[in-house]
Amino acid sequence: MGILRLSHVDVRVPDLDLATAYYTEVMGLLEVERTDSAVYLKCWDEVDHHSLKLVYAPRVGLERISFKVEHDDDLAELESRIEAYGFPVRRASRGEEVGQGESIRFDTPSGQEMELVREVDKVGGVLPRLNPPPMPMGLPGIAPPRMDHVLVTAEEVGEATKFYREVLGFRLTEQLLDGNGHQIGVWMERSHSPHDLAVVSGPNGGLHHFAFWLDDWDHVRRAADILAYNGVQIDVGPTRHGITRGNTIYFFDPLGTRNEVFTGGYRPDPDFPTITWTEDNIGKAIFYYEGDLNERFMKVHT
Amino acid sequence: MGILRLSHVEVRVPDLELATAYYCEVLGLIETAREPERVFLKCWDEHEHHSLILRYAPTYGLDHLGFKLQDADDLDRYERSVEKYGLAVTRMARGEVAPGHGEAIRFTSPTGHLVELVHGMEKVGNLLPLTNPPPRPQGLVGIAPPRLDHVFVTAEDVDEGTRFFREALGFRLTEQVLADDGARLAAWLEVSHTPHDIALITGPNGGLHHFAFWLDDWNEVRAAADTLAYHGVPIDVAPTRHGATRGFTCYFFDPAGNRNEVFTGGYWVDPDQEPVTWTEAEMGRAIFYYEGVVNQRFLTVHT
Repeated sequence: MGILRLSHVDVRVPDLDLATAYYTEVMGLLEVERTDSAVYLKCWDEVDHHSLKLVYAPRVGLERISFKVEHDDDLAELESRIEAYGFPVRRASRGEEVGQGESIRFDTPSGQEMELVREVDKVGGVLPRLNPPPMPMGLPGIAPPRMDHVLVTAEEVGEATKFYREVLGFRLTEQLLDGNGHQIGVWMERSHSPHDLAVVSGPNGGLHHFAFWLDDWDHVRRAADILAYNGVQIDVGPTRHGITRGNTIYFFDPLGTRNEVFTGGYRPDPDFPTITWTEDNIGKAIFYYEGDLNERFMKVHT
Repeated sequence: MGILRLSHVEVRVPDLELATAYYCEVLGLIETAREPERVFLKCWDEHEHHSLILRYAPTYGLDHLGFKLQDADDLDRYERSVEKYGLAVTRMARGEVAPGHGEAIRFTSPTGHLVELVHGMEKVGNLLPLTNPPPRPQGLVGIAPPRLDHVFVTAEDVDEGTRFFREALGFRLTEQVLADDGARLAAWLEVSHTPHDIALITGPNGGLHHFAFWLDDWNEVRAAADTLAYHGVPIDVAPTRHGATRGFTCYFFDPAGNRNEVFTGGYWVDPDQEPVTWTEAEMGRAIFYYEGVVNQRFLTVHT
């Protein structure tokens, strides 16, 4: 009931062919569908139509974040809650977006456009449902099994968090507080993982990164080999987060959008007690081994 | 709302001291309470009072298994759905089952297992602070899994058991092994979006095949095997991979003869995911993907 997990991230790219080549050959996603102005991609273990949409646009940036809800009546219920909170909601009918049914769309207090969708076309995973091997052979690139989470920026993290928790039902797993006790970073979940959505201080509407799941630390190490081989600019890692306990690498796609590969973490129950990080520990909170943030990680977003 | 995950298992052991020493020093669990005939244990990253209860008894085997409920009113809801299925339900007050235990309902499933649904177990915290915590504690002993993961039991009629867990308790089927005549030989069921919280395999009613602890990755499974071998623990199946669940695994026996597993891997499960089916001819690969065959002990030994 309610939001289940991240469904897809839609990002703007000024060079659709270059971005598609990177996401299919280096990241190892599968191209599902293509129109004149957009390419739809999925990870190998995902059965839904797409988890990443590349949209042609003159400038990079986030077009929309889409979360999947569990039940048919979740859309109507969340629609009325969002409207009651004072945000207009628009219905997008089936056919307005490739590969999915009716959805609701709205702007969040942190300035991103968000979508909630129930019905997504099933295109199937790469494996058969009868006697499947545990993984397919011959996948190129990093080949993550699935999309994991998204991290966005907001001018008022506290205000955005209130909306995500009270209206959309996200649960706060971890928070980073400044010296005055104000939230400057929050990690929230619906899927019993450390985070499906995180928000850090920055301009409204910004995208810090979106992340793909990998199965373990060894897969993270191999991902670094593949990134370096292909000349992809690595931002940070491989290393470990204090927050989420995840193992990670950050890097940039050819157009400058930050990607992450992520594994690890823990399984929070809905009554999980929120973990708090203080600003004087921000280095360890973000990069546990280094204990320090690089300037680029703090400043660069799209 | 509903069943969240496996909460705990209670197993019988004829030597409480020996079993406690094994689960604390080799498995690396933490003792949270003790009675003359029972010892309560938890894994380091678990917040609740216990996930494993050892009970003194002349023989080994499963006393009961418990699932965690999200909300207090789930107790009433499942009491009704289980009674509607035709089973008698017993209500247990807070603390009646055990120290630190929540309010619970109990019933015997059609597979012959005593099943409990519990809400509100006492929180004792994991081993980390809630402010600026390191990602793991130092100085843990033994294998030190962060949490209990799933339980695997035997049933004469796997099909009927599967129907009960799906219809009365809302579990979802992720994988199954079907015999050539269509009979369901094994079923994997979940509520936590993982490949399984409970699984059933053909065998006597009320039997325990194993219960499993989560490890973070394959390298931890290998390190667990080192720890087990060092302590002379009988390893049933050395580190390998499952076809069903795609998990990485190692099976071994506690000193009483109850089978344990360490497990990692798997996949995320949406509630509307279509189940994976294994045919009888491929059962070897379903259970042990690398070997392609199941050893006789794995099929016949349970407690």
